[in-house]
Amino acid sequence: MNSQLLALVALQDLDLMIREAKDPERANQEEELGFEIKGVEKLEKTRERLAKQIDERLLQTYERMARRFTRVVVPVEGRVCLGCFMGLPTAAKRNAEPRTIENCENCGRILYRL
Amino acid sequence: MPTAPFVERRVESHLEIHLRPALFIPELRSKKKSSVLEEMVAHLAKHQIARQAEPVLETLRQREALGSTGVGKGIAIPHARSTMVVERAVLLARSVKGVEFEALDENPVHLFFLIVAPPTDKDPIYLQMLAQIVKSVRLAPARRKILEAPDFATIRTLIGAQLADE
Repeated sequence: MNSQLLALVALQDLDLMIREAKDPERANQEEELGFEIKGVEKLEKTRERLAKQIDERLLQTYERMARRFTRVVVPVEGRVCLGCFMGLPTAAKRNAEPRTIENCENCGRILYRL
Repeated sequence: MPTAPFVERRVESHLEIHLRPALFIPELRSKKKSSVLEEMVAHLAKHQIARQAEPVLETLRQREALGSTGVGKGIAIPHARSTMVVERAVLLARSVKGVEFEALDENPVHLFFLIVAPPTDKDPIYLQMLAQIVKSVRLAPARRKILEAPDFATIRTLIGAQLADE
């Protein structure tokens, strides 16, 4: 998988974790079960470092779309975008080169194929 | 007219439903925190739960940076949602010798319940599973029996019994 795409996947997972850790109700539920939630700042620093590794335009696209969607980077399964569940044109797969970032033509989410 | 005796059947918990023999490591090879996570995630990748091991491993490492999931009494419940996870799953792994996992009580960890889920996973079930694990290993005799159990089926029955007792 494209290294930029891998970095975006890591960023998306980290964003979800930070969001949950900062949600007082969610964090409280975990703490009540005996888990520690104390290193949010550490995660935010990791996020800053990770974001610097991503191409600026790609990062901007991700940030913009993250305001609209919970998941911006989604898999493609059987030519279907698993973000909006719409079919992708067959030509999309032919055009998808490993080094390019592919977007869903319907919802615009960033796609990854395995 | 005589009626058939009513037999109450307990509904299986989310945890029991997710415990699968394929996702059981009877004895971990690794002895250190980082390599234990690696070993468990490799197992998930082998069983197609993780699309790729490295991103899932990285997410779990980040979760540990937030605070150790070694909750004490020899138990660790590493958990995270990752884009690279196909479906919600629980991997159970044991280490008789124990692993230094930076647990809250600083004791070695003998039982690992690794929970992974995709980002879309609904919160209630994920959190319920965390709570059910905590509940099922709360008592020392239950933990000992799980560690000494000869096979996975026995462990699953033991966990079911703990959850039914409440």
